Amino acid sequence: MNNAIECNNLTHYYGNKMVYENLNIHVEEGSILGLLGKNGAGKTTTINILNGFLQPRSGECLIYGENTQHLTPANKARIGFLIEGHIQYSFMNIHQIEKFYSGFYEKWDNEPYWELMSKLKVAPKQKISSMSCGQRSQVALGLILAQDPDLLILDDFSMGLDPGYRRLFIDYLREYAKAKKKTIFTTSHIIQDMERLIDDVLIMDFNRVLAQCNVHDFMRKFKQFYFEVEDTSIDLSNEEFVANFEKVHNKVEVYTYEPEEFVKNFLNKKGIVHHNFKKVEMGLEDAFIGLTGKY
Amino acid sequence: MWKSVIYKEWIKIKWFLILFAALGVLTVGYIFLKVQHDFKFNDANNYWYLIMFQGIQFFSYLKFIPIAGALAISIAQYFPETVSKRIKLTFHLPINENKVLLMMMLFGIACLLAIYILLLVVFYGLSTVYFPSDIIVPALTNITPWFLAGFAIYYFVALVVLEPVWKYRFLYIVVAAAFFPIFLESSLAGAYAPANPLLAVLVIALSISLLFSGYRFRKGEM
Repeated sequence: MNNAIECNNLTHYYGNKMVYENLNIHVEEGSILGLLGKNGAGKTTTINILNGFLQPRSGECLIYGENTQHLTPANKARIGFLIEGHIQYSFMNIHQIEKFYSGFYEKWDNEPYWELMSKLKVAPKQKISSMSCGQRSQVALGLILAQDPDLLILDDFSMGLDPGYRRLFIDYLREYAKAKKKTIFTTSHIIQDMERLIDDVLIMDFNRVLAQCNVHDFMRKFKQFYFEVEDTSIDLSNEEFVANFEKVHNKVEVYTYEPEEFVKNFLNKKGIVHHNFKKVEMGLEDAFIGLTGKY
Repeated sequence: MWKSVIYKEWIKIKWFLILFAALGVLTVGYIFLKVQHDFKFNDANNYWYLIMFQGIQFFSYLKFIPIAGALAISIAQYFPETVSKRIKLTFHLPINENKVLLMMMLFGIACLLAIYILLLVVFYGLSTVYFPSDIIVPALTNITPWFLAGFAIYYFVALVVLEPVWKYRFLYIVVAAAFFPIFLESSLAGAYAPANPLLAVLVIALSISLLFSGYRFRKGEM
């Protein structure tokens, strides 16, 4: 399988503040990858580098083999880009903006755009600036679908959307991507949304990648165990197998890739007296918080 | 692609163009209403003498009109691109980033030029009713830098508005403030004749300055 996106040894700093060093990521053609990370972990930085709006200090990102700092027009036509907040030319109405973009793309197909627009209760001459955030999201999505790009880069697509519009956006997008074998690289603050949408997950923390794999594999391998201890001074955070360790009084949460037996054996071997040991079922959001920590 | 770029720019600036053209024509009309009034209350030869030898500028109301129009059009064209960093959409279009900026700039300049030509034609036409060429030619020479200042302010506004860093914006404004008085010196009739070609070259050199701000934006300056 070819990579639609490939970033090699990507390093970036804002002044003296390191965002990441030697970051390597790739997105296979036809897959939907969700980039998760806390605020400031470098999600938007990565999106900006991918779109050529930021020059990394070193390393490179390639899209379809071309350095993103010098994308050719033909390659840019293959990339649909959703800016955080569904930003569009808000001084236009839905007819004007469709007419504007149609002049740039050979493969322009306005059918999905008008299909989405028919669901919006907007006046034909209503400016995009006077639409709700949800309506604007549909305009932005419709334009991307009409462009028929091979790769969609979506920066925090769920920002400002109510649950109904988020669901509409995700369902429409996933069906479209899978039916047409499109590649999606997306970020979102709302991780439940990602769970419905993505195939692969990339979890970034400050300065590093914590996980990059298939989301189902990740959810299968990454586990949370809960137990209560008698000695409240124990600290497992430095143990090699522990991805994250949270403790409130005597209640302990251990996040790890190791199986239940391994953790139990470890506790017994170390003589850590514990009760109510159980494996906790997690959603992607729980797993994300488990891996990156609450703070 | 040309058509689409022009279409977008037209949507942004059409009302400003119409208002500016109307304001300009009304100003020129007002100038010649005043000329007609002065003709009625002065002997024509005496009025011409005042213009030619006493430095009376019958066209002085026109002084800031080209600048005001260029300022409004440039802001109308480039400010919406910077709101929420919408310029990213423009740079993401399947077209070279410099080329799209130059297309936007050329359209803005073409519109400005069209209105300037309209104003100059009306000005010249009405001038021929009242004045000999000995007055008209120096008058046109004197108003030329005002129109050149209009082009210059258009380019400076594009440079400033598209610049991503406030510190640099401030710096450009300071440079512009130092630079602009040379277009607007009050002078005797025809005194700008030797300077006009140089000012024109300066303005042409400024025309590509917006590419610098565009480049800085794309490199992620903030």
